[in-house]
Amino acid sequence: MASSGRFWLIRLISCLLGIALCFGIQSVAHMLGNTYYERLIILAGLYVTLAVSLNLINGITGQFSIGHAAFYQVGAYAAGFISVHYMTQLHMGGYAWMFLMVVVGGIAAAITGFTVGLPSLRLRGDYLAIVTLGFGEIIRIIVQNSDALGGSYGMKDIPKDYAIWAVWLLAATCIATCRNLLRSAHGLSFLAVREDEVAALAMGVNITRVKVTAFVIGSMFAGAAGALLAMFEGFVSPPMFSMDTSFIILTMVVLGGTGSITGSVIAACFLSYLPEYLRTLQDANHQALMISGASIVAGILSALGSAALLKRMLEHASNLKGRLIATGSSIAVLIVAKLALTPLLTLVKPMAEKQIPAEQLRMVIFALTLIVIMLIRPSGILGRSEFSLDWLKRVFMPNRRMATEL
Amino acid sequence: MSLLELKDATIRFGGLIAVNTVSFAVEEGDLFGLIGPNGAGKTTCFNLITGVYKPTSGKILFKGQEVGGLAPNKIAEKGIARTFQNIRLFSSLSVLDNVVVGGFLRHKTGLLSALGYMPSAIKETEELRQQAMHWLEVMDLTDVAHHQSGDLPYGKQRRLEIARAMATNPDLLLLDEPAAGMNPQESEDLRATVRRLRDEFGRTVLLIEHDMKFVMNLCEKIVVLDHGEEIAQGGPAEVRNNPQVIAAYLGEPV
Repeated sequence: MASSGRFWLIRLISCLLGIALCFGIQSVAHMLGNTYYERLIILAGLYVTLAVSLNLINGITGQFSIGHAAFYQVGAYAAGFISVHYMTQLHMGGYAWMFLMVVVGGIAAAITGFTVGLPSLRLRGDYLAIVTLGFGEIIRIIVQNSDALGGSYGMKDIPKDYAIWAVWLLAATCIATCRNLLRSAHGLSFLAVREDEVAALAMGVNITRVKVTAFVIGSMFAGAAGALLAMFEGFVSPPMFSMDTSFIILTMVVLGGTGSITGSVIAACFLSYLPEYLRTLQDANHQALMISGASIVAGILSALGSAALLKRMLEHASNLKGRLIATGSSIAVLIVAKLALTPLLTLVKPMAEKQIPAEQLRMVIFALTLIVIMLIRPSGILGRSEFSLDWLKRVFMPNRRMATEL
Repeated sequence: MSLLELKDATIRFGGLIAVNTVSFAVEEGDLFGLIGPNGAGKTTCFNLITGVYKPTSGKILFKGQEVGGLAPNKIAEKGIARTFQNIRLFSSLSVLDNVVVGGFLRHKTGLLSALGYMPSAIKETEELRQQAMHWLEVMDLTDVAHHQSGDLPYGKQRRLEIARAMATNPDLLLLDEPAAGMNPQESEDLRATVRRLRDEFGRTVLLIEHDMKFVMNLCEKIVVLDHGEEIAQGGPAEVRNNPQVIAAYLGEPV
C-alpha cells in the first residue's frame, strides 16, 4: 500500500483533474457560443446526475424505483421556494447561494427519499415499482394543488444563476461517489442485496440500512440536480417532473446497462442529445423534409431486421474483426433492404400518398432507436461493465494481460 | 453451558406444526448431525435458529442468550452462519466478492469513508479480500477466485457457500445438505474439509444431510426428526439401530 502522503497527492490531483474537466466542458460550451448548446450541455449534465443516482437505487441495490422525477422535483421546488422568499433577506448571492441551494435541494430530497425508502423494506420488484410510481405522482399532484408553490402555473421569478461547471461538478461528484462505493467492501453489501436478499441477511448484511441508504443517497443527488435546474431555468412547473421524466431517466439506466455507472453516463448524454439532434431533420432550405409512408415503413422494417441480424452475428463473432464484419454487413443489409423495400411499398397506394414532415417523426425515430439498441444489447449498452484503466489495458493489450495471468 | 440449545422449539404454519417441541443441545466443538426423511422439518429448524422464522413457542439459546425471533443479520453478528439447501450465491458477483460480503459483517469503517474512498476503507477492503482469499484456499477455490460465482460447477458452488459462511467468522456453522449433488470423491473431500473446520479452526458444525454414509462417518452426535418431532438422539451407532429411526426411513414392518 502506498504511503499516505502519496495517497493524498494522487487524490488531490484526481480531484483537480475532475474540476478541470468540468471547466473544460464549460469552455467547450462557450466556444460553441450559442445558448442552445449551453442549454443542451447543462441538461445533459443534470441527466447524467439523475441517471447515475437512479442507477445506485435500481442497478446497484436492485430496488426497482421508477419515480425518480419526484426527488428531482422536491429539490427544484425546495431551492426555488427558498430562493424566491429568502434570497434577498439573507444578503447572499453568487456561487455561495448556488452551493447553499444545492445542499438545501439535496437535503429536502434526501428526506423524501428516506420516506420512500421505508416502504421498500417490505416490498420487492414490481410492487415497489408501483409504490414509487404512485409516490412520484402524489408529490407532483400535491405541488400542482398548493398555491404557495404556484400551483399548476409553476413557480416563477426564481433568481437565475447558473454555471455549466457547477452542473458537471455535481455530476462528477455523483459518479465519484457511486464509483467509490463500488470499489469498497461497503459497495459489495449493496450488490449482495441486489443479488439475493435472503443470503445477504444470513451473511449479516443489514438490508434495511442498505436499502434506505441507497434511497437517501440516490434521491439526494437528484434533489441537488433539481436545485440547479430551478436556478438555471428561473422557473419550475409540475409538468417538468411528470412521469415522462421519470421514465426517460429509467430508460437511460436500462439502456446504459443496469448497474453500470459508465453506461448510465453514456446513455444519459446520448438520450439528452438524440431528440435535439433529430430536430434538425430538415432540408437545406429549412423546410421540413417530407417523407412518404412507404419510406417510413421500409425504414422501420429494415432497421428491425438488421438489428436482429446484427444481434445474431455478434453472438457468433469472437474477435474484433468478426464484430466489425458483423456491424458492417448489418449496415449494408439495412441500406439495401431500405432501398429495395421502399419502391415495393410505394405500390401500396395509401402509403405512397401519405406525406409526413420528418420533423414530426422525431419521437418515432427516438423510440425506434431505443428498440433497436435493446434488441441488440438486451442487458444495455455496457451490461454491467465499467470503464476503467484496467479495462483499457484489457482491450488494447490483451496479450500482455494473458501473460500476467499465466 | 451449551453453545446452542433448543428448548421445546415449536413453529406452526396455520394448522401445520412444522417443528414440534424439539429440544437438543450442541456443545462447543461438536460435529452435530440433523437428519430425517423429507419434510421432517430439518430446514425449518435451521430457519428457526437463523432467524428466518420466529418460533411460535419454546426457546433458542445461543451462548446462553435467547436468539429466537431476532433478525437474521443480528443472529449472524452473534456468530451463527449458514449455507442454503438451494444454493443462494450472489451469482453475478465474483467468487472472491461473495466471500468478501461474508467478511463485511466484521467491518469497522463507516459508510462515509467508503463513499470518499478514504485510506481506512481501502485498507479494510484489502484486508477483507485477503481474509476471503484465505477461506478460498481452505475450501480449495483459489484457482476460480475471479470467476463469476454463478458459472461454477455445482460442487464448487456448495464449497463457496461454506467459504462465504466461514468468512463471517462464526462460532457455529450450519450446513444445509452440503454434500447434495456431489459425486463420491467430492463428498469424501468435503467430509475431510468439514472435519478440518472443527479440528483446525475450532468451529462447531451443525449439519443436515441425506447422505447417510456422510453423516455416520462425520458426525459424533445425531438428532433424528420425523414429521416435525424428535424421534431419536445419540451417537451414530445408537441412531442407526434405533427401531423408530428405521421405521421412519423404511416404513413400519408389515
